[in-house]
Amino acid sequence: MISGIDATVYDAQSLPSNDNVNAYAFSIDLDGEWFTSKGAMIAYYGAIELSGLSAYASHAAWVAARFSSPLYAQEWVVASGRGKLVIGDRGNDINSYDLDNGNLTIKQTNLLAFETALELKQSIIPGFVTLIGTGKFLASSNGPVIFVEPPFRADPDALLGWADCPSPSIHYDYHWMSQSLSAGVHAMFGRESGEERQYDFTGAGTVLLQSSEVTRHDPALARIVEQHTHLLTAAAAGVLGHKLIARSQE
Amino acid sequence: MAFESVNSKVVRAQISQQGAVLARRGAMLGYDGNVSFRPLAHAPGAGMITGESNKMMASEGSGSVLYGYRGLYVTVIVLTGDSLSVEADRILAHDASLQTSVEMIAQGGVRSAVRGAMTGQGLFTTRISGHGSVAVLSHGGTFPLQLSGQTVGVDPQAYVGHSGALQVDLKSSVGMRHLVGRGSGEAFQLHVSGHGTVYVQASEEKF
Amino acid sequence: MAVLIADKRVLHADLDGDSVRAANGSMVAYTGKVEFKYASGGGGFRAAMKRGVAGESISLMTCTGAGRVYLAQDAMDVTVVQLSNDRMTVESEHILAITDGLQLDVQFSGLRGMTTGKGVATTTVTGTGQCAIMSDGPLIALAVTPGQPLVVDPDVYVAGTGQTQMSIISGVSWRSVIGEDTGEHFSLRFEGQGTIYIQPAER
Repeated sequence: MISGIDATVYDAQSLPSNDNVNAYAFSIDLDGEWFTSKGAMIAYYGAIELSGLSAYASHAAWVAARFSSPLYAQEWVVASGRGKLVIGDRGNDINSYDLDNGNLTIKQTNLLAFETALELKQSIIPGFVTLIGTGKFLASSNGPVIFVEPPFRADPDALLGWADCPSPSIHYDYHWMSQSLSAGVHAMFGRESGEERQYDFTGAGTVLLQSSEVTRHDPALARIVEQHTHLLTAAAAGVLGHKLIARSQE
Repeated sequence: MAFESVNSKVVRAQISQQGAVLARRGAMLGYDGNVSFRPLAHAPGAGMITGESNKMMASEGSGSVLYGYRGLYVTVIVLTGDSLSVEADRILAHDASLQTSVEMIAQGGVRSAVRGAMTGQGLFTTRISGHGSVAVLSHGGTFPLQLSGQTVGVDPQAYVGHSGALQVDLKSSVGMRHLVGRGSGEAFQLHVSGHGTVYVQASEEKF
Repeated sequence: MAVLIADKRVLHADLDGDSVRAANGSMVAYTGKVEFKYASGGGGFRAAMKRGVAGESISLMTCTGAGRVYLAQDAMDVTVVQLSNDRMTVESEHILAITDGLQLDVQFSGLRGMTTGKGVATTTVTGTGQCAIMSDGPLIALAVTPGQPLVVDPDVYVAGTGQTQMSIISGVSWRSVIGEDTGEHFSLRFEGQGTIYIQPAER
């Protein structure tokens, strides 16, 4: 007889319906389809199937219309069927967001799942995607999400997303800027500590921050950067290529 | 101005012309107002002695700044004329008006201090004193142990800091000495005694 | 009688002149007079052999004396389970402490080890006493009943009780992999009667 365990025992009926199990796990009451990122599912009850996006799109034309991001198509699956689907993300906090004919832009690596009524598009800001329409989506964050209102400047690595306000511009810190001007530094790879450069939000809206500046690997980042290199002339592309080779050998 | 705990991993500090804040570089998550960040040079020689490599910066201007670091937990400790000893690498932020100095906490003499330094168990701490707030980093949060005359043993890896009139000795656990190598992992302990508070984290992870 | 009390990520082991066994190096602080001594994982020679084969050992130390020992590891959440002449299987690396009266037997990881390729050992805890389990994030308990099977990611499985049968199902994209058709899409399916404990963080 096992007793005295201080944990609620859930079953398919008592698991929360479209709500958090705890701060780090969320239970989707699946009856139809959701888009979920690969690896987001940690457990399920019921008859649930996970299919790759392209496999599913072959018999469901709406997939291509809703999931408008070829860059990230490989990282996502369609969960279909009926049951309770528990989502987790390496112990990160999980929040659900309800959009009512709205839009929210969020860091792609932190988006875990969204209802198929929502439409996903890539943001102009690399590594971010925008969800548009009416429906629910799930996103993770390292530590709880902090909601702030513009005007606000965010460490790009701590930024989780934003809603309603215009896309950010980039603000360079006064000390860093004056130092780089006096030193004649015009172009630099990488970053120093994060204090030299922030995303500057203005206007009315909400900015979402996570409690950490630790970034996660975005599998599509190299492809995003590569897409922009077609703007370069052949000569400029060659110069960049040499710089990148030199950096990879550092 | 006391730091405000936004959640278990983030604090908000008000910056004003009278009150700048010193923080670990890279710890700024975001801010509003007109705030600028200035890297601070190392106190000469301090890094060489302690082997600790904390890089600090000053947040100056007026506004409010959010600080957090690598998703570690943050404990805010308010000093009212007393002092706190904490490892330099664990300092997330503190009011610029507080005084800091490097000190050696283990009173077990030079030999044990050297041994501690050799085993990487960081006996050098930063002593912070005055009136103001300190935000301290830990893995998984800290729990305070209040001492009123008794002694507690603390794993040096889990020791975060202490305040009050406490004596800290580094001891090699007697029963363990012959087992070092295949030991229980508790071969060295800090023995803390006196009156005050010891802060301990729920992990042996140093940073 | 030694008593284990979980306080979020720290376990209080209150000793009354007796002892508990705890994960090696998990003491973060203690009060009173307590000695720490290395001990083997239990289960005797047979278990030791199995540990050798599985490439995994469960290293426990004995904490003996009178006082309170604060036990913690990697800031993991702690859950105390009370067993009364019963049996529970726990992934070995998740055992933080056990009181006297419980026996440990380290076993082959079996199916889970094969699916994850990690060769993780499973420990069977039997008898009467308290067992403290640690998990990355709060433990989630999920019931398995006849007609209501449960499927879990092998990387979040922590412990199980009751009479359940485990099988592997494939064809599920658990992990972030390049391409849509890479193998290794395994998950664990439990049927029967019992409770499965998972953590919200994949290992």
